Amino acid sequence: MNRRQFLRNSAAGILAAPMLLRNAAAQEGPFRVKYFPIEAGVGLHDVTPARDGAIWFTGQRSGTLGRLEPRDGTFKLINLGKGAAPHGVVIGPDGAPWVTEGGQNAIARVDPGDHKVTLFRLPEKEAYANLNTGVFDKSGIYWFTGQSGIYGRLDPKSGDMKVFKAPRGVGPYGITATPNGEVWYASLAGNHIAKIDLSSGQATAVEPSTPKQGARRVWSDSKSRIWVSEWNSGQVSVHDPADGSWKAWKLPGTNPRAYAVYVDDKDKVWLTDFGGNAIVRFDPVTEQFNAFPSDKSGANVRQLDGRPGETWGAESGNDRLVMIQTAA
Amino acid sequence: MKFFAVLLLSFFLPAAASAEEEGPRAFTPCRACHSLDPAEHGRPGPNLSGLIGRTVAGDPEFDYSPVLRKARDEGLRWDEKRLDSFLADPVAMFPGLWMSMRGIEDAAERQALVKLLAAPFPGPGAARQ
Repeated sequence: MNRRQFLRNSAAGILAAPMLLRNAAAQEGPFRVKYFPIEAGVGLHDVTPARDGAIWFTGQRSGTLGRLEPRDGTFKLINLGKGAAPHGVVIGPDGAPWVTEGGQNAIARVDPGDHKVTLFRLPEKEAYANLNTGVFDKSGIYWFTGQSGIYGRLDPKSGDMKVFKAPRGVGPYGITATPNGEVWYASLAGNHIAKIDLSSGQATAVEPSTPKQGARRVWSDSKSRIWVSEWNSGQVSVHDPADGSWKAWKLPGTNPRAYAVYVDDKDKVWLTDFGGNAIVRFDPVTEQFNAFPSDKSGANVRQLDGRPGETWGAESGNDRLVMIQTAA
Repeated sequence: MKFFAVLLLSFFLPAAASAEEEGPRAFTPCRACHSLDPAEHGRPGPNLSGLIGRTVAGDPEFDYSPVLRKARDEGLRWDEKRLDSFLADPVAMFPGLWMSMRGIEDAAERQALVKLLAAPFPGPGAARQ
């Protein structure tokens, strides 16, 4: 039996190892890849692990938030409302998933127990904000971006919301909170990242070293350095706010397109590459990449998140979740 | 009679004005990635000026999804009907599309957007920009 036959015959799309290693250094982990099929037409987008072991995911095309139980692959879809088109999801200090719900132009909280949906709508004058991604800062304030040129803050306790105009207009996309308490976002159309002053709410743009790079998503490492997935340049870059420095590396392959970025608990950097149809791991110490191409074309993993030993994403093009085991 | 005509006109004028506004309003989220100004390139999405009549994946300066490149190679062209179907459910028409958006369910909103995209670009100073 050859490898392809083995995969076809194996149960529930479980892969034993990455199919291809490009520019790879010696692997540090088993890197087992496992797929979790979800219903066709859900339109998976973002994922985040819950404290109880489940995985929450957004279904942009179907207007749902999903909850996967990885132990047995079962899942439940929660309807977020008429016209819903959710994008990002993160776990709040209350243990609930919080969603950037672009279809209803609102931030949605879904109760993890009874799955009740509570909407915090943006002001009328901010209609069509094109909500993208959210993150909680250390004090429990939820910060969010809107690609139409806004970002904002929501106090989950009082429901008080403030929306700010982004300094360079359209583009605010991924957002991250750092261990030292800062909040940064990336502007895809604006080709920069920006730091938000949490007191005044004002954002200050910072230029990456590569012009017109298409900074799409950001993630902090344990040292509060900002890692950036650059869509246009196909690079991963890192900015150290402590000294203002930048470094950048091109992803492997002939036409990489870096969409998502996530930094794991070991400070290894994970990216998704639409050009290579792969999830890519970057080791900042060795400066080497490992690529984990999908076993199906058009995977289109739009975001990554994880917990110790596991990196998670959603193959939006194949309606399934993917997990890479990063520790034995 | 004159009064009746004025009344009739006042009844229809706001509707006409709102129809004109609906296209630019529907295009607002698209502006994060696309431009209608033929001179503006380098956005996260392709330039959409002159979309109707041109081949799918027809912006020569843009790197399209494989599924759109395939459609271009097959000679598919944008017309108003195809664009309306696309906007209703983009992924249904082109599975594996890199662009991510939920389709527009409201037929009137889709039509307003189709008409905007079919119209000549009025200039960078126009309200829709």
